[in-house]
Amino acid sequence: MGHQISRRTLFRTASGVAAATALGGTLSACGGGTGAGTTSDKLTMTWWGSDDRHKAYKKALKYFQEKNPKIKIEERYSGYDGFFDRFNTNVAGGSAPDLTQMDTALVAQYARKGVIAPIDEYVGKSLDLTGFSKTLLAAGTVDGKLYGVPSGIGVNQLTINRSGLEKLGLELPDREWTWADLKKIAVEVNKKSGGKMFGVDDGGGGTLQAFEVFAREKGQPFFAADGTKLGFTADTLQEWWEYWVGMRKDKACPGPEITSAAHNNLTKNGLVIGKTLITFDIGVYGAGGSITKETLDFLPSPQGDWSGAREGNFVNGGVLLSATKASKRIEDSVKIMNFFAQDKTAIKDMQLQRGIPPTEKARSIVAPDLTDIDKRNMEAADYISKRVAKASNALPAPTPPPKGADQIWDLLFQSNLAVAFGKKTIKAQLGEFFDQAEQILAK
Amino acid sequence: MTTAKTDEVVTEPTAPEAPSDQRERDRMRRRAARRRGGGWWPYLFLAPWFVGLFGLTIYPMLDSLYLSFTDFDLLSPAKWVGAQNYSRMFHDDPKFWGSVSVTTLYVVVSVPLKLALALAVAVLLNRPLRGLGFYRAAFYLPSLLGGAVAIAIMWRQLFGGDGLFNDFLGWFGIKGQDWISNPDTSVYTLILLAVWQFGTPMVIFLAGLKQLPQDVYEAAAIDGAGVLTRFFRITLPLLTPIVFFNVVLQIIGAFQTFTPAYVVSNGTGGPLDSTMLYSLYLYKKGFTDLEMGYASALAWVLFLVIAVFTAINFIASRYWVHYDD
Repeated sequence: MGHQISRRTLFRTASGVAAATALGGTLSACGGGTGAGTTSDKLTMTWWGSDDRHKAYKKALKYFQEKNPKIKIEERYSGYDGFFDRFNTNVAGGSAPDLTQMDTALVAQYARKGVIAPIDEYVGKSLDLTGFSKTLLAAGTVDGKLYGVPSGIGVNQLTINRSGLEKLGLELPDREWTWADLKKIAVEVNKKSGGKMFGVDDGGGGTLQAFEVFAREKGQPFFAADGTKLGFTADTLQEWWEYWVGMRKDKACPGPEITSAAHNNLTKNGLVIGKTLITFDIGVYGAGGSITKETLDFLPSPQGDWSGAREGNFVNGGVLLSATKASKRIEDSVKIMNFFAQDKTAIKDMQLQRGIPPTEKARSIVAPDLTDIDKRNMEAADYISKRVAKASNALPAPTPPPKGADQIWDLLFQSNLAVAFGKKTIKAQLGEFFDQAEQILAK
Repeated sequence: MTTAKTDEVVTEPTAPEAPSDQRERDRMRRRAARRRGGGWWPYLFLAPWFVGLFGLTIYPMLDSLYLSFTDFDLLSPAKWVGAQNYSRMFHDDPKFWGSVSVTTLYVVVSVPLKLALALAVAVLLNRPLRGLGFYRAAFYLPSLLGGAVAIAIMWRQLFGGDGLFNDFLGWFGIKGQDWISNPDTSVYTLILLAVWQFGTPMVIFLAGLKQLPQDVYEAAAIDGAGVLTRFFRITLPLLTPIVFFNVVLQIIGAFQTFTPAYVVSNGTGGPLDSTMLYSLYLYKKGFTDLEMGYASALAWVLFLVIAVFTAINFIASRYWVHYDD
């Protein structure tokens, strides 16, 4: 070699090259790109769920393909975590699935963005929705058009560790219980367990089964009907948070560390780890009932105990099946939706994996094979949906939530947590909550 | 990375050598090509690399620069909004400032601790030691596993309310708390995870230590310099180019940390955004909240911040890095 490389040149160059390489990564990871669409002749179907749900879907789809040899299905499935991150990326990259399980909470935003297809033209022809009630179909209806077939009835239930209560010498509360009853029994749990256990997990940041029901009992929906504003007042939220401050003070529910650890993590849920006996998280049972060995039972969300309290519970549609708009196989996708809605084998295979089956006929098909816990769940759901149907003072079922709804739910959770950790007063946090929520909805 | 045995004469550590050696070779190859007059041949052979550079790095970078001036939700076409994303970041987004302060804390605490530990261990290992290879591998191992999701999950278990760390504290009668789900401590578990992965800078330090000239040490020993004096007066000054190299790399890496924060907080950046590192916020904005235009703007701000830090590093290095030419 003609010259010696000096150490100075060497290290400066090396540091520079390394810096450049390391930097390039972030930026290129953010760039978009137009991917090619799926080229195979298979119909892609995606869903999220537990292992049990995967098995049920696969079994049913196998039967479908035997009956319809012309339709070959590529199945893509995973847990809920990151499911829609992936879905978004696929849609953006032009490789959206043809058919997807859809969250009732997100259907409105995907419908309005033109990602999923309206299917009204097939109803009564290749899509038979006999036996689906209007309130049920509302869960898949956006701006008057149907964008997804509901898989079943979802109701607001609290999951209760009944055997745990019995061990402490306590009884399962009555189905007509109120928020005051919840506090009473939760305090009892803490006392009788010698302070080792708490009655219920902290619902102050919870939407489903929790604040949404409470607000409806006050006659206020979570989102205003047009979806551009919040439907509840600051007073309502303040009263709700104060209730939970009292709950934490009286050790009816655990402190914020346990609440925050359980966020998005079922394995840390208070009921699962044996810290609480009542949970707002419907996932504890939805995970297949296998996550805890205790005997579980179900109760509707508590009722308001003030005068003029209204029925706050409501019925929604479990999950939906939706076809994507860019798909060339919408007709085939509708065929599969119809199969899950009406086919005897499919209904039998799915059991309660996607909620309580939507029609009377379907419920009678699954009834004989149900496990005890499934029976209790179905019975409780039946009780609530009948009570809701009879109630004269119930608000209409919520419309599919607007864009940004998931950010607002997270904001509610974080706000309650900030109060619980003592980082913010209720008053200060209320102001912040409404400011940020308005900003999110304005986008 | 390989390091040479003690008795071999090592001229340069391997990692920094590779790129410039390559450049030298390229230069010679180009010169040779010019002599032969085979103008386009080299480019043909370089083509696969160019495809990668332009297709996977430069094009997406420019694309993201464009997107940073748009409102783009991934699902519908991007709309030009000018500098709105940038002004929103600075005037209208408390979460942005939250993530900036968490990230700053993370970088400022984890990088010096990690480098100090790496250097300390490297100095300890820089002696004829039986089983040296084993120790080196053992200390290096966490870095190899570091990016892995499994380690982050293990971390979540270790520092959870019912985790091993609290069991350990229990032996001394201390009742621990849930370190991960407490907003006052959660970021420190991430910092600890980063510090624990000190292997890469350690190996680089070790390689640097092995090539320090021995005669200086002999002279110092004869003059009666103690261990500390030798370390601060000889080892550290001679090692500054390598310290510099490590500082630059670690700062860039720390600013871009994503995986541990994502996994330990279950993708939430919680509790109360206390683990919302900048990259995680960027990811959430882009892929969860569907604000890819805003996320691209965030990425460019990160790029500029890192570029500025790196530039400061290079300028400051004139005053403290000692090149033994």
